This record gives sequence, structure tokens and C-alpha cells, in this order.
Amino acid sequence: MNKVRAGCVVVIKRLTASPETNQRLREMGFGEEQRVKVVTLQNNVLCQVCNARLGLSAKLAESILVQQTELRRLAA
Amino acid sequence: MSASPFTVVLTGNPNCGKTTLFNALTGLRARVGNYAGVTVERKEGALRGADPQYPVTLLDLPGTYSLSPQSLDEQIARDVLFRRLADVPEPALVIVVLDASNLQRNLYYATQVIELGHPTLIALNMVDVAEANGHQLDIDGLSKALGVPVLPLVASEGTGVAALKQILQQRAREAAAGSTDPSGSAYQARSFAELPEVFGREAQGISARLQSLYPHRQRLADAEALLLLSDDRVFNSHRDLYPADLLEAVQAARKRLESAGVDWRSAAIEARYARVFAIAQHVTVETAQFGETFSDRMDRILTHRVWGLLIFVGIMALMFQTLFSFARIPMDALQAVVDHTAALVAELMGPGDLQSLLTGGVIKGVGAVVVFLPQICLLFLFIALLEDTGYMARAAFLMDRLMSRVGLHGKSFIPMLSSFACAIPGIMATRTIESSKDRLVTILVAPLMSCSARLPVYTVLIAACIPQRRIWGFLGLPGLTLLAMYLLGIVGALGMAWLFKKTLLKGEPPPLILELPPYKRPVVTVVLRHMWDRSKLFLHRAGTVILGINILLWFLVTYPRNEELQAKYDRQLLALSNSPIPPGPEGNIPESIMGIRQAAVQREMAGALLRDSFAGRVGRFVEPVLRPLGFDWKIGIGIVASFAAREVFVSTMSLVYNLGELDTHDAAAQSSLAETLKGERDEQNQTVFTPLKGVTLMVFYVFALQCVSTVAIVRRETNSWKWPLFQLVYMTALAWVLAFITYQGGRLLGWG
Repeated sequence: MNKVRAGCVVVIKRLTASPETNQRLREMGFGEEQRVKVVTLQNNVLCQVCNARLGLSAKLAESILVQQTELRRLAA
Repeated sequence: MSASPFTVVLTGNPNCGKTTLFNALTGLRARVGNYAGVTVERKEGALRGADPQYPVTLLDLPGTYSLSPQSLDEQIARDVLFRRLADVPEPALVIVVLDASNLQRNLYYATQVIELGHPTLIALNMVDVAEANGHQLDIDGLSKALGVPVLPLVASEGTGVAALKQILQQRAREAAAGSTDPSGSAYQARSFAELPEVFGREAQGISARLQSLYPHRQRLADAEALLLLSDDRVFNSHRDLYPADLLEAVQAARKRLESAGVDWRSAAIEARYARVFAIAQHVTVETAQFGETFSDRMDRILTHRVWGLLIFVGIMALMFQTLFSFARIPMDALQAVVDHTAALVAELMGPGDLQSLLTGGVIKGVGAVVVFLPQICLLFLFIALLEDTGYMARAAFLMDRLMSRVGLHGKSFIPMLSSFACAIPGIMATRTIESSKDRLVTILVAPLMSCSARLPVYTVLIAACIPQRRIWGFLGLPGLTLLAMYLLGIVGALGMAWLFKKTLLKGEPPPLILELPPYKRPVVTVVLRHMWDRSKLFLHRAGTVILGINILLWFLVTYPRNEELQAKYDRQLLALSNSPIPPGPEGNIPESIMGIRQAAVQREMAGALLRDSFAGRVGRFVEPVLRPLGFDWKIGIGIVASFAAREVFVSTMSLVYNLGELDTHDAAAQSSLAETLKGERDEQNQTVFTPLKGVTLMVFYVFALQCVSTVAIVRRETNSWKWPLFQLVYMTALAWVLAFITYQGGRLLGWG
């Protein structure tokens, strides 16, 4: 997920972190097939899952495999 | 006679509006205490407007994402629901608060709670936000799918709260009349996770064992068995909770599942998740569009690596500048009240020990701390605003980059920022940190952040030592000095965290997952209430601990009385009043000359008596240690006295330096403490409080752990004396070394 552009909406396809971390991610809404909006991508990733805004470290974002659904560049 | 209270427990995910609902139901009249044995805040309140015959008690549990706790906070929520805490009665009703705009994630926890079989009600909060975001919800459908009543509401606006109150009142009446079934024997087992058959069988086996072990928690056994089988950490955190043979049975069941090709870690979670996904899909009509919102734009700026950081520094600078300039007027007014009261009491009582105790020890001593109330209120107002607007979490997210350099993650920044107000809530806020090593490191460095008790010390020293100069036309040097002290604390905390993570407490921090609450316009009443609740603690400390220390200090600076010395100065004063004074140029005798001479002798007498008092002896005893830092024995008294609480330094200085003046019974002579310090001269007639000494003293106070309450809370949080003692030693040593470098370095550079 750390490879997409800010403003993109992506669908989570697979979680590849440790089982413990995956469990936490799912509990927090990062389940498979969940649509996520990537708000900012600086060093860490800020994204919107349903109505919750979650900050993830870049390393953790890397372990979330996603598919891009639509490219919606943020207005400047 | 009224019935025993009907206990209602509020639970839900963090940021689902649980506390807003709790406040709406209790009218902000919560009793805040702790759960027995741990420092997790226990927030309890009575239902506002309830029939006194059928009282309802509400308990606000810490927010949690699931029943598999990752932190101490979440553990408490689980233990209350599992009836593991002896001091919490069995919930007569559990209200699960759901964020309607984030249904899927909230349902995960809700289904877990419903499975526990307590009488449950769903409070579907923020339905307005859900609608605004394009989620149309079928309330009846949700209620049918979950098998419990669902009540839509908007807690922040009070919509639906009256209906919920009515339901609670009705349930309380029914419970008192015995028409409900609190024992839950009519409870229908519900399961939302369709488990693989083999997993289900193993879970049943564990459940049967649990039922025979804990007959009073029979109803909970199925859910408990599922958690025992699935939770990876169970063998670390539950070792004392269950008998060894049960844990062995769990281990054996897991092995069997593994050989059957079932992943015990994820099977139950995935099954529940699939069901929750289906329920959410079934009851929601999505018309949501992912467009750019106001929050997106705000977040893009506030969490930007450059702009975000600049804004953060700007907010901090504004905060300290405001603390220094805006609080001045009410502080001066309070100072005037304290001075007048002291003068009035002195006049009414006439000279004597009791008068000296009341004016010097009680009124002036406690007053010296109480005058800082406006500044403390402003500081707490700022912190409350940062928390309430949602900015605090953004700052933590922003700071993650910096924190990761020292081996911690952004979550540790929130306790550190809270410690600006007071290290105690800061240390308590570390409970949300998952890794125990990271938590300990944060606890060890949190008191390095400058707390509100240091503010009076900085303010007095800055006013006494730092010249009023403008920088870039709008920033004052005093305000900047204050900011520098706060920054020094932050740098010190980060440096020590890095050191601890490299040496004592090595370990990788868990990956950062941080929830950022939505931006909110702060509610004035809530912010003011927060501010007042915390400021009240400051006043309470002033009225108890500090008053006590001041009375003791007064005794120590007054006794033993050296009659011989007193008599010597009395003779000098008498001789002075009898000695002829040469007339002025116009033939009159200037009375002021007499006054000046008398005041000089009185000051000298006060100094000599203080030097000989118990406190003076203590000050002189520690003087050799403090000399290299440029401090004399009088400052030594202040440092020793403030070991229990930092702000005592201010009242001690007031007591030590105002002694001579108090005896003059002249209100005008009793100038403010900063003015007194400014005019203080040593034996060589050199200014004592030079800018370099002022800065050195402040550096000492930035790093020294002078707070008994912090030591006590660290003892409780770490459950040992080892860490608080280590913290006391390392911080005191650090304070001495850095103050030494500041003073000696400054002298070498020719600054003082």
C-alpha cells in the first residue's frame, strides 16, 4: 500500500504481516476486500477505512497488498 | 427505600462517541477513580434525572477494538465483561456504542460482546455522519441480524439520548420488580463466527472445561474458549489466570488443529469477519463517494513533513508566548490579593511567631504557588484544545518519524505531550502502548517533559534573571527562554529514550497503527470542564502537600532561635535609632535615611538568623555539592525543599528571601518575589540571580525528578521500586551534570 499515490482508492487483497499484526489490522478494519482511501503518503501512510482515519508506518503499509480501483489525484 | 443501583456498562471502539454518550447520560458528573490494583481510570456516574427509587449507575469502559487485548486499557474492558474484577458488579445491561459511519469495524467488537450473553443494547451513534457520508442504514435489519435492540442516536447533539434514558429507567424498574432475568438463564447462545467443524469441536471441549472450573461464569465459557484458542499471547498474559492443565489442553488442541490444517490464529477472526462483512453489506445502502474532504485537506497540511512540523512548532511557540504574556494580568491581581492579605494579617496580629507562620509560611508560601493558577489554567486549556480538536493524534503521527529515530513510535508522543500538563496523566497514558519495553522507556522519559509544576519555577526565574528584550520585533526574550526550556526537555527526553532503547531496553517497536480521531470543533463546556478538573488538582496540591511542606519549612527556617545573635542585632537597631543623624541641606532630618539603615540591619539579621536555622544548616550542608553549579546555600534550601514537589522552590524562595521584609510590617516593602530575587546581592555585593545562574537553575529543574507523586505513580505502573528509584537517580545525576556544564561553560564563555 506504500507504493500507491495519495488520493487513490484501493481494495485490500492480502495481509502479509505477522499473524498477530494481521489480527490487529483486521480488528481495525483492514480486512480483505475492504476499500481504503489513501489520504497522504509521506514517510508513513495515512488512510481512510470506512469513517476511521488510520496512520500506518511505511513498513506496515508495505505488508498490505492492495489493488488500485480508481486513480483519483487529489486536487492541488 | 431505593433499590440497589442498576449497573450499565458502556463499551465500544475508541472514538465511537462512547464518552460523549456517557457525558450526555450522566451530565458530566462522573466520578473518576481507578480499578483496583491498576491505574486504569474507572469512570462511573449516575444517570442524570433518574428516578431516585431506581438508581442507574453507568460505567464507561476504556475503548477497545476486540476482546483480545493489546494494552492494559483494553484488558480492563475485557475483564469487566468477563466478570473477572471483584470490585465491579455484574453488568445488568451492556450498551455497545457503535460508530454508524464505521459500521463494519465496530460490528466486529459488538458481535464479540453480544456472544458473551449479557443483556445487550446497541447504541448506534453518529447516524448523521453515516448519512452525510452516504451510508443508509436499515436499523430494524441490523437489530434482527444481531438479535439485540438497536437504538439510533447522535450523542453529540443529544438526539436519541432521551429515548435511551427512558429505556434504562424502564429496565431498572423491571430489574427491581424482578420481571427481568438478571441471571441470564433464558439466554440463548449466539455465535457470529461460523467455525470450521474441527475448530468448533475443540472450542466446545475447552468450553466444557471452563464451565466446570468457573461455574459462576458458565454463560461466558463459549466465548472465552474461542479467545483462549485464538489468542497468540494467551500464554504470556494469562499464565496466572488459568490452571496449568487448562493451558496445556489449549496447547494440545492447537496442535491438533494445526495437524488438521486449520490456522487457529486466524480461523475464528476470519469467520467472524466474514459474517460481520455480510451483516454490514445487508443493512447498508452505500452511496458513498470517495472525494476529497475537509479532513483530507487538513491532514495533508498538518501531517506534512515540512508544513506539519512548522505548524507544530508554531503552535507550541504561540502557546508559550500566550502563557507568558496573557496570564500576567490575573497573576498580578492574585499577587496583590496575597500581599494585601499578608499585610492585613501582619497588622492585625502584631509581631510574633504565629504571625510569622501565618504570613510567611501559609499566606505568602502557598500564595507564591497559587498566583500561578491563571498560567496553569491556560496551559491546561491549550492541552484540552489540542486533545479535543483531534490535533494531538496528528502531532503523534507527525512525530512518528522523529520518534522512530530513537526507537519508539508515534504513540509514545501522546504521553509525552500530556506530560506538559503533568507527568502523572502522561505516565498513565502509556497504557495504550503495546510493547512493554517501549512503555517503560516512555515512562522513564515522560517526566523530562516540562510539567505545569515547573512553570512557576521558570516564570519566577525568567522574570528575575532574563532581560526584557524583543527578538524580530514581536517575540520577547522571556517567552523564548520559556520555549527553550520546554524544547530542552523534549530533546532530553528523546535523547534518553534513544539511550535506553540502545542499552537497557533493546527491542524493535511493534508496527505503528494509530487511529486519528475526526477533527472536531471543541465544545466549550467540555474544554472548560477539562481545564477546571485538572486545575483543581493543582489547587488541591497547593492546599495540602504544599501547605504542609511550607509549615514545616517555616519551622526549619525559624528555629532554632539564636537568642545571642538576635540580641546582638537588637542592640544594633537600638543604637541606630538613638544615634544622631546629621540634618539635611535644608536643616531637616531625612527620615528615609533612618529607614534604609534600619532595613539594612534587619536584612543582615534575617540572613544571619537564617544561616543559623535548621534549613540554613541543611543548605550549607549541601552547598559544596551545589557550588560548582553556581548555587549558594540559600538556593540549596530551595532545591532540597522542592524534592517533594517542584513548585515548592518558589514558595521556599519567597520564605527565604522575604524573611527580613516580613518583619518590617510594611506592605509596600514586600515586593514581588521576582523583584526581590533581582535585588538580591551576595557578600561581595554581586547580583545573585544573574542570567547565567537563572538559566543554570532552570536547566537543573528541566532534568531533575523532583516530584513524589511521579515516583509513586511509576512505582504503581511498573509494579516495582526498581524503576522509580532508577529514574530518580538518573534524572538527578543528569540534572547536576547538565547544570554544571551550563554554568561552567557559560563562565568560560564570559557570560557571568
